[in-house]
Amino acid sequence: AAEPWPENAALYQQLKEEQILLSDNASSLAVQAFLQMCNLPIRVICRANAEYMSPSGKVPFIHVGNQVVSELGPIVQFVKAKGHSLSDGLDEVQKAEMKAYMELVNNMLLTAELYLQWCDDVTVEEITHPRYGSPYPWPLNRILSYQKQWEVRRKMKAIGWAGKTLEQVLEDVDQCCHALSQRLGTQPYFFNKQPTELDALVFGHLFTILTTQLITDELSEKVKNYSNLTAFCRRIEQQYFEGHEKDSSTIAGRSSKRSLLR
Amino acid sequence: MAAPMELSCWGGDWGLPSLHPESLTVMAYAKFSGAPLRVNTINNSWRTPKANLPVLVSEDIVISQPAKILNFLRRQKYNADYDLSAKQGADTLAYVALLEEKLLPALLHTFWIEAENYCSVTKPWYASRIAFPLSLYLPGKMSREALNRILLTKGGPPLYSLTEVEAQIYRDAKECLNLLSKRLGTSQFFFGYTPTTLDAFVFGFLAPIYKVCFPRVQLQEHLKQLPNLCRFCDDILTCYFKLTVSGHSPAGQDTADANLQKLTQLVNKESNLIEKMDDSLRKSPQHPPRKLTTLKLAAGGEESSPMSRLSP
Repeated sequence: AAEPWPENAALYQQLKEEQILLSDNASSLAVQAFLQMCNLPIRVICRANAEYMSPSGKVPFIHVGNQVVSELGPIVQFVKAKGHSLSDGLDEVQKAEMKAYMELVNNMLLTAELYLQWCDDVTVEEITHPRYGSPYPWPLNRILSYQKQWEVRRKMKAIGWAGKTLEQVLEDVDQCCHALSQRLGTQPYFFNKQPTELDALVFGHLFTILTTQLITDELSEKVKNYSNLTAFCRRIEQQYFEGHEKDSSTIAGRSSKRSLLR
Repeated sequence: MAAPMELSCWGGDWGLPSLHPESLTVMAYAKFSGAPLRVNTINNSWRTPKANLPVLVSEDIVISQPAKILNFLRRQKYNADYDLSAKQGADTLAYVALLEEKLLPALLHTFWIEAENYCSVTKPWYASRIAFPLSLYLPGKMSREALNRILLTKGGPPLYSLTEVEAQIYRDAKECLNLLSKRLGTSQFFFGYTPTTLDAFVFGFLAPIYKVCFPRVQLQEHLKQLPNLCRFCDDILTCYFKLTVSGHSPAGQDTADANLQKLTQLVNKESNLIEKMDDSLRKSPQHPPRKLTTLKLAAGGEESSPMSRLSP
């Protein structure tokens, strides 16, 4: 039997203004969107050590009742166990497709974001290092960000992305957006009338890419090429986020490192 | 036409043209799109110091990863996806990502990390096809790379030990196989009646799991419970690879052994088919289906002449 969703459910992520990075922000937004779509209220709490509090080392994680669950996949399972699901109405083939597209987003978009943040030297120097270590004093800030960079670069090497140039990575992002755009077509959501976790995930990543200011605009330009994707992001933002004016969860209230979605 | 393109890749066994998933994907795609590829299976030569196979060489261009090779073939007008709609093209990308994320770790584990499998099958097989002394070093290196990849992508907390990671990746792989089976349903290929890029990738990943005889075979047993996927692999093998699986016998001292091995495999396959077609075989000894005549005439491993009679 499912317990009711508690009032004080909380989502933890890193500090929004100074610390959080592109990829973590995307993941966090995806989870927030998913919970909004399920109509489950959640507070967003920003902590500098969110990554270390998380059971899997990845943000975001939610604290519901006395359970802590991190990352979108396990959170979807957890919410389903509580009796809420967005993908129950899909048939088997559609569920297979949904899972495949979610893997595509994780495989290409998330990896590209990680690459850009940690393997592109200019971005690393100017944005990532200052942001990642910002809550900590010197030299801890440099040590932590170098450690993380080394870890991410090892992973990139293991999956074969270390040899890619930035242009190739942007090509891959373009290919991924092209596929998503084709799949979305003119429908309001990926599986027509109802949003699913795939919509939440895609929204999280695309919206973050569109609204984050990086060294160059190349990444967001790739997404802007596809008008149905930008319309999709705007639609979800309006439907699920604009009604909530709480300071910690509004999207419109971002400062210096963000530019608003036009 | 330009000079023929040469593909260097790992060879095959157990009825497969290649044991290596990526090599198999490229070979399958070439067959589906009709690209004229000359396939060089690596056997005891020094040509693979880095073992980054498969490698396509066309005039002076050298291309090494399956996705890039497929792109190159498409640019040369060998396009197996010609009839696909844009949405189906997008689905292809998504399913390939699913295969790489969910199925590949378990595949790598079965081949390279599971101790019994690695020591009794994979290592000797690869070592026999690499020149000494590289054969002492390369298989170990490939195994370490596979372990590295699995641990870095799947091995973070809360999974702290290799056994927990293994349990997770096999669960994911079985789920992936189930999803593929549901997506394939009863159709012959994933997008209708002609095979496409997605079929090449799925075949490349599934066929080694399906055919290679390992001591520890949990993934193979799971796959055998999904008859449509087994039928999919068998169909591609018989329709697209049957005619050349014996045409590239490895040069060198063990030609006879290799041919005998292939003959044994063919005999086993034929005997399975014969059990199914029992009645009609008894009634018509001169039955036109190619499998039976192959069995009768193939004596010393030279199967090219009966095979050429049987091309559709």
